[in-house]
Amino acid sequence: MKRTVLLVLAITSVALLTIQAQEQVRHIAPANPVVADKDVNSQPIPRLPDGTIDLTGPWFGGGSNGDIEREGGLKPGELPLLPWARELKAKRLPKDEPYTACLPMGVPRVNPYPWKFAMTYTAKGLSHIYQLHETGDAGAHRVIYMDGRKHPEDPIPTWWGHSIGRFEKDTLVIDTIGYNDKFWFDSRGTPHSEKLHTVERWTRVNFGRMTHQFTIDDPGALSRAVTLNFTASLIRPGLKDGDDLLEFICLEDNQYGAAAGIQGVGSGK
Amino acid sequence: MTSKLGIAAAALALLCTAPVVAHHGFDTEYDAKKKVKLEGVVKQVAWTNPHMRVYIDVTGPDGKVVNWNLELTSPNRIRRQGWGPRDLVPGEKVIFEGYGGKVIESRGSLLSIRKVGSDTYLFEEGKEDAEAAAAEGRPVPAR
Repeated sequence: MKRTVLLVLAITSVALLTIQAQEQVRHIAPANPVVADKDVNSQPIPRLPDGTIDLTGPWFGGGSNGDIEREGGLKPGELPLLPWARELKAKRLPKDEPYTACLPMGVPRVNPYPWKFAMTYTAKGLSHIYQLHETGDAGAHRVIYMDGRKHPEDPIPTWWGHSIGRFEKDTLVIDTIGYNDKFWFDSRGTPHSEKLHTVERWTRVNFGRMTHQFTIDDPGALSRAVTLNFTASLIRPGLKDGDDLLEFICLEDNQYGAAAGIQGVGSGK
Repeated sequence: MTSKLGIAAAALALLCTAPVVAHHGFDTEYDAKKKVKLEGVVKQVAWTNPHMRVYIDVTGPDGKVVNWNLELTSPNRIRRQGWGPRDLVPGEKVIFEGYGGKVIESRGSLLSIRKVGSDTYLFEEGKEDAEAAAAEGRPVPAR
């Protein structure tokens, strides 16, 4: 029996070496310049003239991208997907991701590019917050109503849903319903249904970081509500080029799939 | 003993799931087994969305010229490192590394690029830091 154990361990070691020797495709993609950990308290948290905490950014991160469980602080398999959702996730292929066809990533997903909250004021005060992603929304914008309105009773299912927001002390709380079921929570294809209801709680905890407590309630795809935790980092102020959002037109030259002969990119099927 | 076998089997199973990560992103389009290192002449540097591309003419041993279409990241991400349109222009000779496309080999992923005769890699992280270090006489950060 001891020999058997040794044999299994030997096979394991060979497998490890083989896997480590496999090279992954890489490309030139430098990191985003963000405020370093040592500088997150280098300045006070800024506030707007009316005293509201300034959540503008631009920020990097703060949501899911590659794997919502890992990035949101859950263990592998901990997201309580219903059987149909688990099966759909297993079937989805990376080449079919809607985002590769320049469609929006959806909430709470963020591409590895900057994004910001942009406030709109009227004579009555803060009326809207727009969440602008440099690339993750494929050039679109998400509207968060701050004027006290309620959700419609029959929202048309959309990529960003219907969002209403409020401040609880210094935390921006965003409640959203009315999503469509087309976007993926991550590049692994984690699905959801049109019953999705999300609550985001954004808190700027210091000059350089903002936490995001994200609750998913989706009786169509999850057996219970789940809360995940993300952190956004402030893009380093004063960059010569790009300390604000830059232009991005996704469809300009999207050649995704051509090198591999992939057809029907972004079909989601 | 059974538990030891179980641990070993679990370890093996865990290791066998590791490469799944590699099935995402550029691995969908490009082939890790088709890594190349070539010299050529820049035909175009396209500062386009969603990703930049560098087109390079490579002359083979038989004299045949192949135009390589090489993808990197978004122009914004490169710009934030301090690189711009003047840093690489058509006509310049370059040495590059990359991975060929799974179906069309000359449509590749660009891993590194530098001008012939230069040790400075282009479009990589930290150009501004390197320039500042050089100006101040400090050692230039390694690539």
